Amino acid sequence: MDITLEPKGPIALLHVVPDRIDASVAIQFKDRFRDLVRDWDGPVVLDLQNVTFLDSSGLGAVVAARKLLGEGRQLDLSGLTPAVDKVMRLTRMNQVFPIHGSVEDALAAHGVAPAA
Amino acid sequence: MSVRDLPSPRQGDPPGGTALGWACTRRFEAQPALVSVELLGLNQTLIQLGLPIEQLFTLELVLAEVLNNVVEHAYQDRGEGRIELSVSVHDGFIHCGVTDFGAPMPGGALPPARRHSPEALALQDLPEGSFGWALIRDLTTGLDYSRDEGINRLSFRITLGD
Repeated sequence: MDITLEPKGPIALLHVVPDRIDASVAIQFKDRFRDLVRDWDGPVVLDLQNVTFLDSSGLGAVVAARKLLGEGRQLDLSGLTPAVDKVMRLTRMNQVFPIHGSVEDALAAHGVAPAA
Repeated sequence: MSVRDLPSPRQGDPPGGTALGWACTRRFEAQPALVSVELLGLNQTLIQLGLPIEQLFTLELVLAEVLNNVVEHAYQDRGEGRIELSVSVHDGFIHCGVTDFGAPMPGGALPPARRHSPEALALQDLPEGSFGWALIRDLTTGLDYSRDEGINRLSFRITLGD
């Protein structure tokens, strides 16, 4: 699955390129996420602005990604589209993830300037 | 063409009658990638009919949950088995029917909605699944399941408007 890593100071900024995280790609999402963060010690921000569809399998994959990072590393989400935001609210998973309106907001919350 | 222009049933039409408004039936194999393709195609068609985007998202999410359940449970991830999906739009609702020929629902009835309070859970205890039936129950009306002669039939409605 096409996810790219953009280092921003101590933060790994992961851009999800496809517009869907659903049952047909949930396993690929988890595998790709695991590969990308393997050698990263800092917080991770998942940029979801391209994602216009997330089902419960996709949500499960995002939760698995969060658990993979463990207590020591944070996982923030940014740029939720209305459909993704709705799934997060209905499942109450918005209580678990720090959620930011944009990548810039997410980086600022970690004290990182967007141009870093 | 907008939803408002779709015909409504006339008085005297038989109950459950013929093609009122827009309707389609699709048949496809129980594979996740095929489910994605069907949902995308249906969404594009219904956008062209002028249905509101918010309800179309609700429809896509509910159908994804229902169809993924069929793929994973009724057909137990075998990657084969026929699914029939019928969708019609009339009288202020999107009506859906999903038929499969796989295993029955556990206990022959619809599973309950499982409610999570994830904020109260330790990180490693967070659920990675079992969100589906809560979403389906929250976002539909008229949810009904029957099993007859080896056939599962699930039907529900999505409310248009508001």
